[in-house]
Amino acid sequence: MYWVANAFIFRRGDSPIHILDPRIKLLISIELFALSLISSTLIHIGISLAAIFTIAALAKILKRVYRTLMFSAGFSVLIFVINFLVGYSIITSFVLAVRFVAIVGSTSLFFLTTSPDELEYVLRWFKVPQDVVFAFVTAVRFVPVLMLDAIQIMDAQKSRGLELEKGNFINRIRKLAPILIPLVVTAVIRSSELAEAMEARAYGAVKKPTSLYTLTLKKRDKLVGIASIMLFTTLLLYFLNLTG
Amino acid sequence: MPKIIEIKGFTFHYAGSPRPALTDVNLSIDDGEIAIIAGPSGCGKSTLLRSINGLIPHMYSGTYIGEVYINNLKVSEHTISEIAKHVGYVFQNPENQIFMFSVERDIAFGLENLGLPREEIKKRVDWAIDLLGIREIMHRAPHEISDGQKQRVAIAGVLAMKPKILILDEPTSLLDPLSALDLITTVKHLHDTLKLTVIVVEHRLDLLVSIADRLIVMEDGKIISNNEPREVLKDDRLLTVGVGVPSIVRLRHLLKDACIFKHLPLTPSEFVEQINVAQR
Ligand SMILES: Nc1ncnc2c1ncn2[C@@H]1O[C@H](COP(=O)(O)OP(=O)(O)O)[C@@H](O)[C@H]1O
Ligand SMILES: [Mg+2]
Repeated sequence: MYWVANAFIFRRGDSPIHILDPRIKLLISIELFALSLISSTLIHIGISLAAIFTIAALAKILKRVYRTLMFSAGFSVLIFVINFLVGYSIITSFVLAVRFVAIVGSTSLFFLTTSPDELEYVLRWFKVPQDVVFAFVTAVRFVPVLMLDAIQIMDAQKSRGLELEKGNFINRIRKLAPILIPLVVTAVIRSSELAEAMEARAYGAVKKPTSLYTLTLKKRDKLVGIASIMLFTTLLLYFLNLTG
Repeated sequence: MPKIIEIKGFTFHYAGSPRPALTDVNLSIDDGEIAIIAGPSGCGKSTLLRSINGLIPHMYSGTYIGEVYINNLKVSEHTISEIAKHVGYVFQNPENQIFMFSVERDIAFGLENLGLPREEIKKRVDWAIDLLGIREIMHRAPHEISDGQKQRVAIAGVLAMKPKILILDEPTSLLDPLSALDLITTVKHLHDTLKLTVIVVEHRLDLLVSIADRLIVMEDGKIISNNEPREVLKDDRLLTVGVGVPSIVRLRHLLKDACIFKHLPLTPSEFVEQINVAQR
């Protein structure tokens, strides 16, 4: 599952895409997702992929998107084979397979260009309840911390003679217990300390907490947003064959 | 002098625990003091701090007798968030008290929770950032800064709420010696400039005795000593309680009969000074 994580881990960037308002990035991602979803011919899917790669190039994340797509290609081979066996034509099966790649690509574009910080603001903007937003924030915030904890615990247990790499499948699973149990204990301690610290910083004191920053659309965000909607509508009509 | 903290006959018993964690604690702290709380691990230091900022009895379940007053407010009758405006609590592990993705946002956390207007939040965050000298790291994520810096961020986060009392629970226990010294110097500086009352739980007394007004020693949930550090450290029974008595003080106790010392030296420089005086 490493590739999944990697596909969605944000790295700081300063491209023309990164600096957009996260809601615009979400809009573009959804548009690309929708176009990929309704692509039913080779030309459609070609256009969708081209759009995805153009955005990726602008965001200077072509390599990462490409790598993600290569990984997801494994699944799409499976999709191709199944569809073909079920009786679809080679071309249709191919389009369906590539469509999966495009869907993954369009989704990962958003996550690769949006910081967790921005994601938080988007959640708030959608009026997601404070507790849910905060749960999301701490979850993402503590992923690297718990990963370090896990590495430390593994090293400690290895130095006491635990051999993680040896034995058959069942044995290896069993050997995870000395890692997982301390990890869970650490996580519980961390979360209870976190709860104390939240209280001490007045968490939940008022119904509607204020915010240091909120999202505001700049001129460029509006321009990009409108342009993307126009392009999207045109392609949508063309894909659905409604242009006459 | 007005008492900023007043603890009267306070006993606290955690639910499910076999014995009380605090037994009949009486303590008054003057406005503007620096007080150290020392004592072996498990003697109730953290429990005492929790009773001061209201985590006890509001968050921890258990039974208590007696009362704690902060600025004449009965802690048991005010919410933790109200008390947070009077008492800033810096916890032992800085990692577990930084919530947000950036330093600046984290310092704003308490203020956002209080529902302050954005302009006020901005002003206070800016103020706290300069106060702790962390402007270069204000846009960094928590995993991109050192432990010493995390501790500063945590202090900035509580000071932004403008408390009069700052309490720190073993703030240097996870720091290297140099960062520890740095932190204590910072705390002293904050005390002086903001006229804070400071309570520090600390094992490494050598870092603090020379700047503290009061040393409180605890054992088994009770306060066994409470006075000026020099007075408290005169008692050589402390050497066996499990308090990090400064080496210089230990040395003085070992030199029992050498009566060159007019008063108990707390730091190496005081020690040398008194020897020089005696030799003249
Ligand atoms: N949440 C808790 N529930 C039950 N007992 C606790 C809890 N926290 C601390 N204690 C107990 O209370 C006593 C004092 O603990 P604490 O105040 O953390 O000591 P210190 O900070 O001096 O090491 C210890 O015996 C400890 O086991
Ligand atoms: Mg403690």
